[in-house]
Parts: sequence; C-alpha cells; structure tokens
Amino acid sequence: MITPLKAALRYLPLFGLAAALRCAAQLDPWEFEVYPYSTNPRGIAEFETDNAAVVEGHAAGGEGTASGTLRSQGMWYNSYEVTYGLTDRVEAALYLNMAEPAGGGLQWAGDKFRLRGRLFEQETLPVDVGWYVELEWHKTPQYDDAVRELEFRPILEKDLGRFSVMANPKFEKVLAGVGHDQGVEFGYVAGMYYRWARSLSPGLEFYGGAGLIDHADPVGQQQHYLFPVVWGELPRGLEYNFGLGFGLTRGSDHLIVKFNLELERFVGAILRAPPDGGWFF
Amino acid sequence: MDLKHFIVIGLMFSVSGMADPEMMGKTFEIRFESHHFSPQTLEVPANTPLQVRVVNSSRERIEFESFSLNREKVVEPGGSVTLKLPALRAGTYDFFDDFHQDVPEGAIVAK
Repeated sequence: MITPLKAALRYLPLFGLAAALRCAAQLDPWEFEVYPYSTNPRGIAEFETDNAAVVEGHAAGGEGTASGTLRSQGMWYNSYEVTYGLTDRVEAALYLNMAEPAGGGLQWAGDKFRLRGRLFEQETLPVDVGWYVELEWHKTPQYDDAVRELEFRPILEKDLGRFSVMANPKFEKVLAGVGHDQGVEFGYVAGMYYRWARSLSPGLEFYGGAGLIDHADPVGQQQHYLFPVVWGELPRGLEYNFGLGFGLTRGSDHLIVKFNLELERFVGAILRAPPDGGWFF
Repeated sequence: MDLKHFIVIGLMFSVSGMADPEMMGKTFEIRFESHHFSPQTLEVPANTPLQVRVVNSSRERIEFESFSLNREKVVEPGGSVTLKLPALRAGTYDFFDDFHQDVPEGAIVAK
C-alpha cells in the first residue's frame, strides 16, 4: 500500500501547478487563510476574525503587503467575517476589513462578499473540487488603489491519510480603480496540513502574488510567503490558526504574524435540504 | 502553459477519475439515538474503500465529525448521510458529535 507521505509527494506536482504558472495576483493581507473543499453545512453560521501584523515590512507605501499609500511596516490587518451555509454545498460570507497603520488608529479598509461551494461528494473525484467567487469594494486609496475587484478561485483538496493538501489558485480582475483597464491577475494560496491532535496540529501555508497573467512582475518585485502554522480546536469549539510568515522575495514583507479565530454555531436553515445525489447545490 | 491548457487538463483529470459506484465498497451503519452512537466501535476492513451511513434516530440535530478522517456532516433529526471513505490503513479513527461534547466518542477500527 502506498504510504500517505508517498501519495502526498505524488500529488504535489498537481498542486504545484498553480505556483509554477508564471504569474500571480496581488495578495490579500486581510485573509491569510487556505480554503478547504468542505463548506459550512446548511444553517450553520461561522464567525471569524483574521489578523495579520507586519513585524518587519517596508518603509514606503505600495511595497510588500501595502497596496496603497501607507507603508506596510507595523500595519495590523484585521478582518471580521460571517459565513452562513445556504445549503450543504454552498455558503455565503460577508467581510468587514479594518486596518491599523503604525502610529494610527483602527480604520475601515473595505468590504467583501463571497460565495463558495463544493462539487460532488468527498472521494467522488480523485481530487475534491470546489469553487469560490468574491466581490470586494472599498474607496480607501491609503490601503488599496483599486475600488472594486472580482476574484475567482477553484478549490482543490486531496486527503492522504492524516495529511491534507489544498490549493486555491486565484484569478482576480480589477473592475474599477487603478488597474481596471488591465487584464486578469493570477495568484495562489495553498497549504499542507497534518492532523496530529484536535487541539494542536502543524501545517505549512503558501501565499503568492506577482502580477498579470500576461505580464508578470520581475521575480524580485513579486510577493511569496511561507507560513509554518499551528492550528486546532480550543474548548467550546473555538478554532484557531496561528503562523509566522516569512517573505521569500525582496518585494515581500520580511515577517508577518497571523492569528485567525473562528466559531461556528447552528442558527437555523433558510433553504430546504436538497435531494440526495446532487452535485452542485 | 497558458490558462486554457490549465483548465482543460484539470477537467480531464477530474472527469477521468470519477469513481465507479460499484467500486465504492461495502456500506456500514452507525446509528445515533438516546445521545449515543451505536455501535460505538465499528470494525471495518482495512485497505478497501467503504461507505459509512450515519443515521440520526434521535430528535436532536448532530454533527458527525471525525478529526482523523477529516469528515464533518450535519445530520438532521430522523435523517441520514452517507460518507465515502478511501481505503484505510489498519488503525483506529475517531468520531464524535461536534454539537454535543458530552456524547461519548466512538471509533472506526480498520483491521
């Protein structure tokens, strides 16, 4: 029998495909999170806060994770997210993005709405497949010079014993603001996790962005990060993910600390249960 | 490789590997009633794909979850769900009700 580790290595080229493509989209520092195939079940609400603090960043705006006029050094990216399971396969989420620059107060930095779904049942395909569509809007040039952005991600996951490998290649288009007349950007979010114990397990996460599909930035200006993380469940169902992110290029911030917390509760279903055997809804 | 090739290869990879229903293996059943799973220890054959049907015979909503198998499913009162599992290596795999922490944990034992 193939061991999970050998199997993980066999599937790595597939998940590495996204990273190997010669381009990537700008990073979303408000959400250092890798999405799995599974979605919130019908009627379940999840409350989440994602936090990332730039410990060693850049001194000028427009560099590192900063896409606006403010510098990334000392920035705290803080977001609040409510996700609701519309059906057992489709969830909707609303985000509130906040930020606190070094020496400043906490400010509104934008909002996002997204739909995410999963196709078929787990183990039906050799790789579990899901989808993700997001609309982001803000008029906060100090944080981001785009005004409206649309993003699509296929979600890929493969479980191999206690290992899970996930990849979310990102395709992003600026609809309004700086860059609206340009093409589609491509990026990646990916992770490898080992399920060791419910309260504490290790993982590695990868985030990257480098520019337009047909016109990637020079490698030195791209952003690529490696986050060793620990994750697990605390008492009362509170889930956490904590990690240190190391920038791998000159264009990346050098060190980021991230801390995400989430809690899910059944709040009541608004849609009827879909019939058995469905694959989309 | 351009975007078009990436999408085509992905679709071919996915569709060509769709599981044959006859290859999904034997179905085992776990029932939830009176605030307990039954059986609490389910023995299954190792190294062969299988399905586990979780039947909720109680009046409370449960979330059948297995950390080691990475499975999580809400089961409505009177409802059931079927989980597809890959060939398991010999070993013990936990399951529990994530909505009720006082429900005793169970185990799937692959031999």
